[in-house]
Amino acid sequence: MASLSEEVLLVLKKVRQRKQDGTLYLMAERIAWGPEGKDRFTVSHLYSDIRCQKISPDGKAKIQLQLVLHTGESSTFHFSNDSSALTDREAAKDLLQQLLPKFKKKANKELEEKNRMLQEDPVLFQLYKDLVVSQVISAEEFWANRMSTTNTENTLSDKKQDVGISAAFLADIRPQTDGCNGLRYNLTPDIIESIFRTYPAVQQKYGENVPHNLTEKEFWTRFFQSHYFHRDRISTGALDIFSECAKQDEQGLKLMVVQGVKNPLVNLLSLEDKTIEEGYGFSAAASTSNPNRTGKENSNSAIIKRFNHHSAMILAAGSGRGDAPNDPASETSSTDGNSRDSDLSQPPIKKVKLQEAIDYLDLQREDGPKTVALNLKKSDRYAHGPVPLESQKYTTSQDIINSITCIRHEMANYVPNLAQVLTSSAVSSAIAALSPGGVLMQTGSQQAIDQMVPSEVQGELKHLYIAAGELLRHFWTCFPVNSPFLEEKVVKMRSNLERFQMTKLRPFQEKVQRQYLSANITGHLEEMLQTAYNKLHAWQTRRMMRKI
Amino acid sequence: MASEDELNLLVIVMDVNPIWWGQQAQREPEFTLSKCLDAVMVMGNSHMAMTTTNRLAVIASHFQDSHFLYPCKNWTGGDGAWDGTMDETPNCGDGKYELLSVANNVVAEEMKRVMSTTEMKGNSTDTLLAGSLAKALCYIHRMTKELEAGQEMKSRILVIKTAEDCARQYMNFMNVIFAAQKQNILIDACVLDSDSGLLQQACDITGGLYLKIPQKIALAQYLLWVFLPDLEQRPQLVLPPPVHVDYRAACFCHRNLIEIGYVCSVCLSIFCNFSPICTTCETAFKIQLPQMMKSKKKKLKQSI
Repeated sequence: MASLSEEVLLVLKKVRQRKQDGTLYLMAERIAWGPEGKDRFTVSHLYSDIRCQKISPDGKAKIQLQLVLHTGESSTFHFSNDSSALTDREAAKDLLQQLLPKFKKKANKELEEKNRMLQEDPVLFQLYKDLVVSQVISAEEFWANRMSTTNTENTLSDKKQDVGISAAFLADIRPQTDGCNGLRYNLTPDIIESIFRTYPAVQQKYGENVPHNLTEKEFWTRFFQSHYFHRDRISTGALDIFSECAKQDEQGLKLMVVQGVKNPLVNLLSLEDKTIEEGYGFSAAASTSNPNRTGKENSNSAIIKRFNHHSAMILAAGSGRGDAPNDPASETSSTDGNSRDSDLSQPPIKKVKLQEAIDYLDLQREDGPKTVALNLKKSDRYAHGPVPLESQKYTTSQDIINSITCIRHEMANYVPNLAQVLTSSAVSSAIAALSPGGVLMQTGSQQAIDQMVPSEVQGELKHLYIAAGELLRHFWTCFPVNSPFLEEKVVKMRSNLERFQMTKLRPFQEKVQRQYLSANITGHLEEMLQTAYNKLHAWQTRRMMRKI
Repeated sequence: MASEDELNLLVIVMDVNPIWWGQQAQREPEFTLSKCLDAVMVMGNSHMAMTTTNRLAVIASHFQDSHFLYPCKNWTGGDGAWDGTMDETPNCGDGKYELLSVANNVVAEEMKRVMSTTEMKGNSTDTLLAGSLAKALCYIHRMTKELEAGQEMKSRILVIKTAEDCARQYMNFMNVIFAAQKQNILIDACVLDSDSGLLQQACDITGGLYLKIPQKIALAQYLLWVFLPDLEQRPQLVLPPPVHVDYRAACFCHRNLIEIGYVCSVCLSIFCNFSPICTTCETAFKIQLPQMMKSKKKKLKQSI
């Protein structure tokens, strides 16, 4: 069963498994064991399936190695080679120790990701329960769509940061006394790289002198002996090749100072702690959990607070006396210089800031909005608006005159008779019309559906809608059907939908109808499913026609 | 609970189109303008009898003009204030609350005067309803301004409509409706003859009640049952449900109701068909019709 292309890393003979003699093979991606005399493997485990390995304690007579899989099963291998059992097992254990971590991460990461997503999103969890646990669709289909959205998030966090230089790297090169008055410095390539990054002048000198003039050892000996390395950089003597480095450093510093400040009007009050990214001394989770700070963090912050307080006290002490002599000095310096020169020498950003501070938009002259006059040709349309034409009743002028005379006559003799306004029969028929069930009250008697159906049922209906929506989305994204994969998927989705209808929708509907009559709350869901079936049917018939 | 200081103003706008009422008198002699006026007076009296702080105004809507029946300019007292210098004591002799008898008398007098001065000039026979509503709004506004500090007033307008809608008043009508909505003034409508789309919209927008009554002779009963309670009391009563309003617009070319149409972006006139020039404002339009895609034969991908 071993494929020819697998690379065999280690072969161990005389390894027993379940009381059978055999040979253990460690390959690039799996570990396998075959019994003696046969050339096929009876036991084969991929490294990604193995959760961990265990070894028997050293004192025991039997030298064993146990592999525990993710599923909980375990396989035990007994190394029974008389001479080299222990070394064999150690070799196997070391190799596994190297290989397992590589495969472990891939498997775990996916499961962890899925678990995390399910825990974070209760809607997703509910959908998962509804669809996968009740076997409407399989788990792979469910995750097929979700994983594509999460992969993009993960790639952002995969960017590695450059490893920085420790601040104490020079102090870490602790010299060891060499017996008699000598010092031994231990230099690793890391330390050399740190020195080159911190002091580019030293790197330059290294490039010039090694290997032409000095060996590496001599270079470093001179470096550590030179005054450049030590704290007081008093450059004595030109013998020191590092004395120029000090001068170069000074020039570099002067250059940085000359560049000056880009924005002299920066608002110090609105400064905040900003970090580049997560990992540069900042982690998003830690900032929210203030009460859970560890003791070490607390003591660090206490020290920093003491330093800050001390510095603030120093500044306060200095500011009292320092103000008076400073002010006249600053005034004279500003009036001495030519004002035009000082203007030009100020950076442009300062001017912009000052301009912004003195400009108020409201005080500027307003440009009114430019309007165009409306020019209507048929302005009577404006008068009557979008009102439908109603049939006018034509009254002849004779009718009009008659009506007016009639009314005039009536009103001339009008005396209010408030005691005879209503008859009891008229009133009772009016009251009947206005009572619930009457002629005028017909449309109001229907109760709102959400008052008739309790909230648990409404909640279940919501879950049904979410599940159905998910399935229908899978179904409808298959159209237009371009590939055989989509064809199969479409048919499969239809069977999924039918299964959903049978197992979830029908029982719910029956339950609702039993308890709350005449509330048809699943009608819309049925309609949606029916539309999907119709579409599939239409597509299938069209395909038949095309094939004929 | 309404506080002691809260005033309730009811403005009744009555449609007294003499042509319609004249024809009505010939159709149904048992329900004429006199009966209608009696019913309105009963309604007004009931409203004022509910609380002493309730106020009333009655406007007659004619095809000539809109006329304030109560309170009226000729009567020196204004609303509620009693000026003792009237010549005749408004004593009906039946021990009625004087305010009510005064109101009734004033309304009757004014109505007689309005009807006696009716003349047919020109050929407009439509009731000036939009104008009456506008006058009612102005009156309410004036009353609101004349309140003392700390007093609040809730107002509503009751429209009793008889004749048909006049389409030419559409724009004014809509303006009145939106002004009432802004001022939180309810517009109720009691329709005697034919349904009125404009009033349905008015009631829907301002939150009032629209009712078309089946029997005109029981008008007073309908008014007292449905329109007497004010806004706070209505949710606690079982009243007729709101009418479904047809908000469809009519196209300007055929005056048919349409659901989907084309609107000119310059003058907002609605058309049922696309035409390159808007007939109202003569703006030229170009429209991109959806492209007809040639159906391509799709080949199924061959699986290897």
